[in-house]
Amino acid sequence: MTETTQTTALRIPLRVSRSRQLQVLPIIEIVVLVIGALLPLVLKDYLTVYATRVLILCLFALSFDLVWGYAGIMSFGQAVFFGTAGYGVALLARDLGVTSILLVLPAGLLIGLAFALLLGGFLLLGRHPSSVIFVSLGTLTGSYAADRVARGWYYLGGQNGIPSIPPMSLGSYDITEGPVYYYLALGILVLVYLLCRFLVRSQFGLALAGLRENEQRIAFFGYQVQRLKAIIFSFAGAIAGLAGSLYAFHEGFVWPNMLGVVMSTQVVLYVLFGGSGTLIGAVIGTVAIEAVSFWLSNSYQDIWPIILGALLLLVILFRPAGLISLILSERERVGNFGRPPGKGDHGSS
Amino acid sequence: MDNLFVALFEILSFGAIVVLVVLGLGIIASMMGIFNFAQGEFVLLGAYVTYIVYSAGLPVWLGMLAAPFVVGALGFVLERSIVRRFYAAPVVAMLGTYALGLIIREIVRGLIGGLYLSVPEPLGGSVSIGTMHFSTWRLVIILITALVMIGSYLLLARTAFGLRIRASLENPALARASGISTNAIYGATFAFGAALAGLAGALIVPVFSLFADLGLRFLIQGFVAVMVGGVGSFAGPVAGAGVIGTLAAALPWIIPPVIADVLVFVLAIIFIKFRPQGLISTKGI
Repeated sequence: MTETTQTTALRIPLRVSRSRQLQVLPIIEIVVLVIGALLPLVLKDYLTVYATRVLILCLFALSFDLVWGYAGIMSFGQAVFFGTAGYGVALLARDLGVTSILLVLPAGLLIGLAFALLLGGFLLLGRHPSSVIFVSLGTLTGSYAADRVARGWYYLGGQNGIPSIPPMSLGSYDITEGPVYYYLALGILVLVYLLCRFLVRSQFGLALAGLRENEQRIAFFGYQVQRLKAIIFSFAGAIAGLAGSLYAFHEGFVWPNMLGVVMSTQVVLYVLFGGSGTLIGAVIGTVAIEAVSFWLSNSYQDIWPIILGALLLLVILFRPAGLISLILSERERVGNFGRPPGKGDHGSS
Repeated sequence: MDNLFVALFEILSFGAIVVLVVLGLGIIASMMGIFNFAQGEFVLLGAYVTYIVYSAGLPVWLGMLAAPFVVGALGFVLERSIVRRFYAAPVVAMLGTYALGLIIREIVRGLIGGLYLSVPEPLGGSVSIGTMHFSTWRLVIILITALVMIGSYLLLARTAFGLRIRASLENPALARASGISTNAIYGATFAFGAALAGLAGALIVPVFSLFADLGLRFLIQGFVAVMVGGVGSFAGPVAGAGVIGTLAAALPWIIPPVIADVLVFVLAIIFIKFRPQGLISTKGI
């Protein structure tokens, strides 16, 4: 009995070190970064604007990937943090005239964090451990309710949302859409990405991955499973909030769809498609879907949602680990030392 | 006094609609352990089949009769070809059926566009008692809901088929060993749940008109109702739907509709948080 335990204990570090010999992941990351950095030099102006939007959505996708891909929490209403932060900074700009980047981005982050603390605390903490279905329904309902409130509340502009938000400013300089905003979004994305990368590779991140694979076992090891979940949920909420505030100022308006079920499921799609449980997968999924969407939106606008649904179905059925698994070995998908996600008892509790 | 009766009737008929919509969802969730996110689209398809039959010049009631059979058959085919692959994990089932629902909904949207298509009531007019008037069709919905509830209960509790379903739910391995084809049972249960949704769609289309997001309108309400009632039994989802449907219909008489709508969900989620087993926690029937 003791012998078996020792062998497993010896084997785990070995597998970790072996996975570090394969270096596909950093190569993908660097290639994506270089492409991202050079893109505005070759793109036309209106495409740079579109690309900026995609970068912000990547940031949003990262937040969902953290909760679902790493911790196995199905947040089916992630857009509620994205949207409330967007509405929050829009109100700041409209009613108080606050547009300084040094104030509005932290404000968005804090709004996302606060809402995620509230919702996550309620859903995840407590005497009864919450089932995965309850958490997904709870977040979905939160997102739906926020959408309804935004649509029905005259102060928030109702159906039309809040139009013509003044641009974000740094001192007397206005940050308007274009290359400057693009590099701002890219810089924030890279920073957040690196932070997340550090986090998921730390002891904390490994505990999360363990939680995703086998919640009970991690609990037996003495981890406070529910608290781990609440922490990562709030952290992800803050990232979603940051993305939401960037998005609101980039588009210049906010509207109820930003909060609702449509946006929430869109982000699920991005991450599943690219490959949940790898940070770069979230980025690649977002870029791939938005690129195809842009290409199809002119000629095949009506059938695009059908294709999107079919893609999602195919990915779930045949490639549960997403696009990234085509080029990345199972072993290198960091923190995943077992079954591919989507198969087996993934996420069940 | 008359107003009170009319209000009660409105509330009751809306509650009946929610029960009807949720029944199939609850049976699939309770008996198979998966939350079918395509259920709303089965409701939509039921409504659409009715519309197609009606627009072909045939009587409306014929379309309403055809809807559960067409949608049930489609449910069976989908279960056998796609949905059965999702049983391994509840979240995968949720996402997979959501994708399926998305495809169905967008195809219907492609066919009808953004229109609100109307279908007449097979039985129009109203029944008058004194100075009060009650819509005949809403009375019929209440009546049919009651019949469907009793019928489904008898099917699950009293027939050999129901026994096999419950055996497959309780212990699949033992059920298979006893010669029950659990695969066929899952297919049939899913088809039955889909057929109920199809019937619900057919019956409510004269009240709500046909539009692409018709199913979506009831989906979240349905899930919350099932969770409030309690998964694992027949009575749970029905009770949950009764409570949610009644609240959703009653609150707008007292407070502004938007607040009422949100309040129902907030109350429901708080309730589920503190009583995760739901209103009725017994397993079985």
